[in-house]
Amino acid sequence: MNVDGRLAGFGVAARFDGDQAALDVRGEVDALGLPVLGALFDAVVASGYPSVVLDLSDMDSIDAAGLAVIAGAASTLIASGGRLMIRSSSTVVARVLDINWLSGLISWEFPAPDLDRLGPEQVGPVSATPLEAIHPDVVHNLRAVTAIPANQDVVDGALRLVVALARATVGGADGASVTLRRHGRLATVAASDQTILAMDADQYSTGEGPCVDASIAGRWFHAGSLDQETRWPAFTPKARALGISAILSSPLLSRDRPVGALNIYSRTATAFAAKEQELAAVFATEASSILTHAEVHLTDDQLTGRLQGALRTREIIAEAQGVIMERDEVGEKEAFDVMCRSSRSSGRSLREGAMDVVDSTRRHRPDIHPGPGGERRG
Amino acid sequence: MASLPVITLDEYRRDALLSHGELWLRYFELGGMSTALEVEAFLYEALLPSPHDRDLIAHALNERFVELGGNHPVPYADDHDDA
Repeated sequence: MNVDGRLAGFGVAARFDGDQAALDVRGEVDALGLPVLGALFDAVVASGYPSVVLDLSDMDSIDAAGLAVIAGAASTLIASGGRLMIRSSSTVVARVLDINWLSGLISWEFPAPDLDRLGPEQVGPVSATPLEAIHPDVVHNLRAVTAIPANQDVVDGALRLVVALARATVGGADGASVTLRRHGRLATVAASDQTILAMDADQYSTGEGPCVDASIAGRWFHAGSLDQETRWPAFTPKARALGISAILSSPLLSRDRPVGALNIYSRTATAFAAKEQELAAVFATEASSILTHAEVHLTDDQLTGRLQGALRTREIIAEAQGVIMERDEVGEKEAFDVMCRSSRSSGRSLREGAMDVVDSTRRHRPDIHPGPGGERRG
Repeated sequence: MASLPVITLDEYRRDALLSHGELWLRYFELGGMSTALEVEAFLYEALLPSPHDRDLIAHALNERFVELGGNHPVPYADDHDDA
C-alpha cells in the first residue's frame, strides 16, 4: 500500500512492507508540509508497525517544528517497543538531531556511496567486503559504535597515537586522521593538524569524499591525484584549495563491521604507491583491533569502580605526601621519593605506606619535629 | 665499552601484563598528572618524561611486579646517575 502527500516543494510517501512502514520525505519540511508529515507519521505509528523508517535522503531542509514531530514519533514508538530508523546522508540533519539528544534514541542508516564512486581500488591490500554484505548490517554497526564504553578517552588516546605513527611512517604523508561513526554521525576523533581537521569536516558537510565512503562501505578508497578525481565533485575542490593532492582512506572495522576510516593525506600527487598502501592497511588493522578491544573492555560500572578506587588511593597518597612535606620540610618530589624508597625497602605498596603515614597523624596529635633548619611556620 | 641492551618502559609494561589503560590508571593512582596518551608516548619514548613522571611509571610497574611475585626491576630516574 502506498500513500502520498504532495505540496509544492514538499512530498512525503508512505510505504508498507511486512512489519515495516517507511516514510520517504522530499523537499522542504516547512509550515505547509509539516502537518502532512505529522499526520502521516501519527497514522503510521498508531497503526502499530513496530519498525518505522524515515527516509530523509531527498529532504532539503527541516526546522525545529519538524524535529519536534520526529522527537514525538520517536518517543511514542520507543515507548511501545518499536524502532525508528532514519536514513539520511545529510550530516547537517544528523548534527541537528544529535544536538537535540535525539540520535541516541534513533537508529541511523547512511546510504551506501553511489556505485559510480567506487573506483579501481577494489582489489587492494585490505580485504574488500562486498557492499551487499554490509548494507543490511548498518544499523548494527551503529549500535556497535555507540557501545564504545566510558574509557573512550583511552581509545581516543590510542587512536591519536596510531595517527601520529601513520603520519610519521607512511612515506609522502603530510597529515593523517581517524574518522569514527559516533552517536550516529561521522566525527574526527584524531587528526594530526587543523588542515586535516578541516579536510575531514569538508567531507562530512558535503557528505562525500574517500573518508566518508571508506567509513560507510568498509573498503579502501584511494584518490591518487585530486586533479583527475571525478568521484567527489563537491569535496574535491575544497581539498585542492587546502593544498591536498592525494588521499588514502582505509576502513576501520570492529568485528568485521565498518565503523570509520584511517585517512592519510599528501600534498604530492601519486604519493601513495603499493608500499604506502600496505603500510596504511597495517595501521588501519591496528586501529581496528583497538576498537574491537574497546567494545569488550570494561563496562561503565566496572570502570567507575576502578576510577573511584584510584581516586581514593590518589587522595591518601597526596595526604601522606603533604604530611611528609610538612614534617621534613621538603618539596613534593622529595616527599614522593621518601615514600617510594620506603615502599622499595619494605616491599609494601606506596598506598599501604601512605595509609600508615596518614593514620599516624590521626591517632595522636602530630608531634612534628622541626626540620634541619630548626624553624617552622606556625 | 659494552653496554647492556636497554629495556624500554613499554617492554616492562608488557612483561608486567598490563594494558596501556591499566598502567595509566595505576600511574594516576600514585598522583600522576599526565594524560593516557602522554604516558603512552613516554613508554614508546616518543616523549621524554620528567624525572617525577618517570619515577611514577617505574613505581607503578614495580608494584605490579611485586604483585606478580617479583622485585623492583624497573630503574628509577636517579638510578642512572647513581650507577
